[in-house]
Amino acid sequence: MIAIYVCAAIAVYAALRVIAERNTMRKLPFVNVISFAVTAIIALLLPHPLTILATAAYFVGSTLESNAIASTWAGGIKKP
Amino acid sequence: MLDEPARILVAAALCWINFVAIDVFFRLPESGGVCGATAIAQEVEKGGGALHGGYMLGNIVSSPDASAGTLLAACGVYCAGLSGGLFAALLVYIGNRICYDPGYAGTTGAITATFLVYGMTQVGFAATDFIAGMVIAILTIQGISHVHSSRLIARLWEIRGRLLGGP
Repeated sequence: MIAIYVCAAIAVYAALRVIAERNTMRKLPFVNVISFAVTAIIALLLPHPLTILATAAYFVGSTLESNAIASTWAGGIKKP
Repeated sequence: MLDEPARILVAAALCWINFVAIDVFFRLPESGGVCGATAIAQEVEKGGGALHGGYMLGNIVSSPDASAGTLLAACGVYCAGLSGGLFAALLVYIGNRICYDPGYAGTTGAITATFLVYGMTQVGFAATDFIAGMVIAILTIQGISHVHSSRLIARLWEIRGRLLGGP
């Protein structure tokens, strides 16, 4: 099971890059890498049909959070 | 057959080709889907990267695209075989709708990845190789150097414009 260690190492690496990056908008792609790695780890730890729902729920939820952070930081929707 | 590290690297290359080809084909580098994606692209450009590559980085962050489709399809095939991968494609489509995205890139990526992963499991690869491979593939685009990855995507976007007419 090298696969799970590869995913864990990438998650830790991406977390360190998030801490090191100073610009908030440029932190978000690294946060995205953490979401991918954690989704992969959930699936690799729990080989069960319902895991698909858990991984999809976690991934879509974290994407929606990144979307919300990025859009809020960018000033939100401009009302005319 | 190949050892596990070699299989993971081959799977990473296949996943990379699958998701970058589909994302570029579905015009993700054209513009930001939401204002957050546009803002990420502008920051990447300010840091020395290319604007169109930045749009794709921003769109990957803001909505489940073909890369998410590839990862969830690999998880689906690992947990429940071919039908699990197709169920993951349906979940990606629902996720796209939640994130206010038409959802064509993500769903197409999930369906092609399902058949790719399922086909490769028939010739000695494991679905776990593709799960780790997709994490490596997204690391190369989003996690190493935004300047270089955005320039590479911008170049692919130019090639797509030349081959398939106006960007």
